[in-house]
Amino acid sequence: MVENFIFIVGKYWKTFLVTGLLGTLELTAIAVAFGIVFGSILALLRRSHFWPLKWLAAIYIEVVRGTPLLLQLYFFYFMIPQWFSALELDKFTCVAIALAFNSAAYVSEVIRSGIQAVERGQNEAARCLGLSHFQSMLYVVMPQAIKNILPALGNEFVMMLKESSLASTFLVGDLMTSYKIVNGATYLTLEPLVFVAMIYFVMTFLISKLVGIFERRMAQSD
Amino acid sequence: MIKTVDLHKSFGKLHVLKGVSEHIAPQEVVSIIGPSGGGKSTFLRCLNMMEVPEQGQIFLDGVEITGKKVNVDKYRQRMGMVFQQFNVFPHLTVEKNITLAPVLLKKKTEKEAREMAAELLARVGLSDKLHEHPGRLSGGQKQRLAIVRALAMEPEIMLFDEPTSALDPEMVGEVLSVIKGLVKDGMTTVIVTHEMGFAREISDRVLFMDGGVIAEEGTPEQVFGAPQNARTKEFLSKVLY
Repeated sequence: MVENFIFIVGKYWKTFLVTGLLGTLELTAIAVAFGIVFGSILALLRRSHFWPLKWLAAIYIEVVRGTPLLLQLYFFYFMIPQWFSALELDKFTCVAIALAFNSAAYVSEVIRSGIQAVERGQNEAARCLGLSHFQSMLYVVMPQAIKNILPALGNEFVMMLKESSLASTFLVGDLMTSYKIVNGATYLTLEPLVFVAMIYFVMTFLISKLVGIFERRMAQSD
Repeated sequence: MIKTVDLHKSFGKLHVLKGVSEHIAPQEVVSIIGPSGGGKSTFLRCLNMMEVPEQGQIFLDGVEITGKKVNVDKYRQRMGMVFQQFNVFPHLTVEKNITLAPVLLKKKTEKEAREMAAELLARVGLSDKLHEHPGRLSGGQKQRLAIVRALAMEPEIMLFDEPTSALDPEMVGEVLSVIKGLVKDGMTTVIVTHEMGFAREISDRVLFMDGGVIAEEGTPEQVFGAPQNARTKEFLSKVLY
């Protein structure tokens, strides 16, 4: 076991750390970055007074949260080449898009609850001074909501880092894909799995700690 | 100055205001007393349209502000409001709390606003807190900040919604004395309060609200000294012991 482990790490570390980890980080970063953009738009729509938009956003969020991520990956994986064949997107991009659309639903809930956590009196006080709804949101509510939202987005990144492993179903070159490659080449199962687990764990552990430090800094600034 | 005609307001099935007509004159100081749930706060919050009445009208200097096309923000700039829960902005310094609205709404330049903030803070004894965040202030200090934040907009009327109800007893005095100072300077004031002694001392007129209507009104001497309405008598006998 130990010998095999050392052999795997020695021979295939590049496959894991360069190809695999970079692939996973890339997928996660794309998913969360676009997730934040789409998620912000969804959160805005959700707060809209125009009910068709509000309902559309609500339905989207519920459907994404109520169906398995793996199913969503399959859906985008087959849907994009069929409906948007002219774009000629590769499978890595298709999977990244699927993850981004998934992330958007969760991010929009993070933003919504972050805004709701700001006491109602804050908005009332701003409006009483004569500020418009927009000014109140921009100068009073959002600066406070951001403090709730940013740490939660860090956690979303950690979640996505782990969940992007499902992308290996389509062998798109993430960390879990590199496990499958090494497993295929060596017929070893547990040893590469342990190494992959270590990489995932170190990444999520470090990022969680960073988010924690960041969160405390934010809390202090009040 | 402010006139209301037959205000009605419901929250769901709860009919909170059942036809309130009032007229508050310039420089008048009006206290609103009465049991919880009687509609005091709702009436006060209707005066600056924080609650939109579903029936009735509100006039500010003869201009109706209850109309559909009215830009309420403009009128709110002329009315300051102070809340039970202070609602100071925790993410801004004390100075920024005060200057935010006047600068944003172009009533003052940044420099003018800062000068006024320093002046106002000196008036309420908070000069040394200029660059602090409100998190470091006591309840009484927060409420004094909330008052000067409202004053920075140079309002024509001040509305106080139970300004001392959330304070520790030893901090009530410092806030009441600030309000007293305002009243002495001739500020038109409407205050919802449970501080009966204070209401009696500063008011020109006292309104007793119960069951969504003004059940009794008069000078402090009339309402506190010789209440006519049975509900007023009962209420006062419970709170003045």
